[in-house]
Amino acid sequence: MNELVSLKGIVKHFPGVLANDNVDFTLRKGEIHALLGENGAGKTTLMNILYGLYRPDSGEIYIEGRRVEISSPKDAIKLGVGMVHQNFKLIPSHTILENIILGLKEVGFIINYKKISEEIKKLAESYGWRINPNAYVWQLTAGEKQQVELLKLLYRDARILILDEPTSVLTPQECRILFQALRRMAGEGKGIIFITHKLDEVFAISDRVTVMRKGKVVVTKETSKTDMSELAQYMVGRPILFTIEKKEPKPSGEAIIIKNLKAFNDKGVLALKGVDLVVMKNEIVGVIGVTGNGQQELVEVIAGLRKAAEGSILIDGINIVNSSPDRIIKLGVAYIPPEPLRYSIAPNLTLVDNLFIKAYRYKPYSNGILINWKKVYKKADELVKNFQIISPSLFTKAKSLSGGNLQRLILARELSGLIGDRIPRLIVAAYPTKGLDIGATEFVHKTLIEYSRKGSGILFISEDIEEALMISDRVAVMHDGRIVGIFKPGEVDIEKIGLMMAGVQGASTI
Amino acid sequence: MTVVDVAKTLTIPYIIKIQKRLYYSRRLSILTTFSAVIIAFGVAGLFFTIIGLNPLEVYSYIGGVFASPTLLLESFKRAIPIGLAALGLSIAFRMNFWNIGAEGQMYMGMLASTGIVLLHVYYGLIPDYFVLLLMLLAAFFTGGLWCSLPAFLKAKMKVNEILTTLMMNYIAMYLADFLIYGPWRDPKGYGFPLSVPFPEYSKLTIIFGEFAYGGLLLLCLTAVLVFTILKYTKLGFELKIVGESIETARYAGINLSKVVTVGGFIAGGIAGMGGLTIVSGIIGRLRPRASPGYGYTAIIVVLLSALNPWLIIPVSIFFGGLFVAGDILQATLRIPGAAVEMYQALIFLFIVIGEFMKRYKITITRRVFG
Repeated sequence: MNELVSLKGIVKHFPGVLANDNVDFTLRKGEIHALLGENGAGKTTLMNILYGLYRPDSGEIYIEGRRVEISSPKDAIKLGVGMVHQNFKLIPSHTILENIILGLKEVGFIINYKKISEEIKKLAESYGWRINPNAYVWQLTAGEKQQVELLKLLYRDARILILDEPTSVLTPQECRILFQALRRMAGEGKGIIFITHKLDEVFAISDRVTVMRKGKVVVTKETSKTDMSELAQYMVGRPILFTIEKKEPKPSGEAIIIKNLKAFNDKGVLALKGVDLVVMKNEIVGVIGVTGNGQQELVEVIAGLRKAAEGSILIDGINIVNSSPDRIIKLGVAYIPPEPLRYSIAPNLTLVDNLFIKAYRYKPYSNGILINWKKVYKKADELVKNFQIISPSLFTKAKSLSGGNLQRLILARELSGLIGDRIPRLIVAAYPTKGLDIGATEFVHKTLIEYSRKGSGILFISEDIEEALMISDRVAVMHDGRIVGIFKPGEVDIEKIGLMMAGVQGASTI
Repeated sequence: MTVVDVAKTLTIPYIIKIQKRLYYSRRLSILTTFSAVIIAFGVAGLFFTIIGLNPLEVYSYIGGVFASPTLLLESFKRAIPIGLAALGLSIAFRMNFWNIGAEGQMYMGMLASTGIVLLHVYYGLIPDYFVLLLMLLAAFFTGGLWCSLPAFLKAKMKVNEILTTLMMNYIAMYLADFLIYGPWRDPKGYGFPLSVPFPEYSKLTIIFGEFAYGGLLLLCLTAVLVFTILKYTKLGFELKIVGESIETARYAGINLSKVVTVGGFIAGGIAGMGGLTIVSGIIGRLRPRASPGYGYTAIIVVLLSALNPWLIIPVSIFFGGLFVAGDILQATLRIPGAAVEMYQALIFLFIVIGEFMKRYKITITRRVFG
């Protein structure tokens, strides 16, 4: 039997959404199969069905030709199906070994650490990974954590591996190590499903590719028989331009000057170790780096949400370090935070409430005590139109808007000059396109570029190097709480950027 | 999200799954609330049967309260402090401030208003026509302080408000005991732990001659006030955001400690006014344990009303009626008054269960053997 997995006619409804509409999917022995699609296309739903997290409304699942019912991840693991989620599900305070054997019945009552430790080491080495099974998970890099997640599955003899956007937390070098290991696994006859929305990855790793759009499979093809623009068209349903036109910037005065900024993270560890950075008006400065190297802390200090230990941030000549968020907002700093649903959106409140979550207290929308809802609604109608927010009404709850519409809502709120009736002096955008589909990403890019040419300074945090190179006027690389290099796109090759992101000594001297 | 797979362990040819609902409708919410009240009635009936009473007879006494004009008027009176405390809570709960302290805030309101009366009676410092207004302000201010203290502690230092507000109830209650057994005892009261009877112009009866009417007016005006605050003011909008997500509120530049403290002050102040209606409306003087737990009943009322200020009025009349029914049952059927408290507790229990249940759905599908 050549087919490891065969899904036939899978249908899954969620309230108001048809997440999977009669989906067929096959995975062959020894192949790496890319599952490509925009956010909300139904890829993760389909894989959650295969992994037993959801039950399909109808449809059949065959594993190695046998009809099966998978009603929990336990069933799935028994059948040899394993999944590595986007967010790692490891226990940081336990060792690698403990994480791997957790929940494993075969281990028995008395654990033979020595034997298991040897087994894990051998298993890891067979994929070219060097790990110490007794190291604690909190000591590991993102790439190593992912290796542990994979080892967990391999140690359970999984033959079908599902990886949900596995490269989103990796440096280019770590990606290469991962891809090599995946190749080796495929060579052993395992089947690998690689969920992604990045086209270049499809060509870097996969044998076949299945494209999903709006819950349906659009096409399944040999990767060698297609190209990027064809896949993009399948994915979005229309042709996509891969470059953005933008005029040369005319920097005029500083939007923000950051000097020797130091700050602690939530665990009390110094996360910013002296950041120096200047963003001019009319300019986009992209900050790239592996997530967790101080980017989050940097944007939070600028927005007034985190105390700085040392250093200064000058906006319009005023030092805003440790000022209240309200004061910083009034100075014209717009902040697009990461994870909108957690940080900047109140999911149970309406669209209009969320649009005015900052502006409600300023003139002309409030006289200091009452809110003038009439004016609010009128302005909201205008913003919905200008920023192309698609919603049944102004009073739709924010949580039922799609990711792209939420980001439009945030852009409308932050950029449209609701406060003080002028465009922002500085826009801090942290991962503003993370999780968005191609269309929405395009909109965000265009909007940011448009505002930078109108006069805003933009600090753009991204973990996607290509994206940062594409839209930034200058790119800064952040590593271990410092800016380790600043250059213009095109000045430095991607290989060197990767080394800088990984913190390799000497890489930052261009 | 799978929670339990019961069928698996029992090898039944069906798969029973308890899944988390992504959304639930308003209709379902109303249905669960009503079911909670009905099921509580049923379970209480079971209890009455066990202690040898005919549950139907008990129910008919309870129903009788709402059929008789005099008893209904009495229910209105009880509903007033309950309703005011519940209106206060509706503000506190809106910002996820789980205030269990309405009872204590009411006691502080009673003490403040009694204090004003005593100042007037003993020292004559205040003109007659000014007394009631001053009582009202004092009750609001003191109740407000009693609630804004735990609110401030929560906002500034993340002190758990459930513990602080609950504990402050006992402080307020025993402070009232101390005063009434001590310095505030009526010297002409034959040694009973009672304050001097309140003079006419310090009682709410002076407004319409009947406390129930004046009190209901106060209740309705307060409901309008609360509705306006929540719907049309900056503060109301801020309360809503804080209740939704602290992270988002911080992000939006809202001054958390200020909003929570001010919100707590208003919530406690309204409960304090509820305290005033007990001493200056229902009893006419201060005595120990002047509130039979109205502040706790208010928690049930506000949850049953889903924080809606208009719904709070009829729901508190229902619970006022239950208090009256408790007195009658005690007198006629010799059931301990605690029976009614038990019924209240049952309603509360089933509401909480219902809140949990409505978030899940149970599906049963036939198992296919592969």
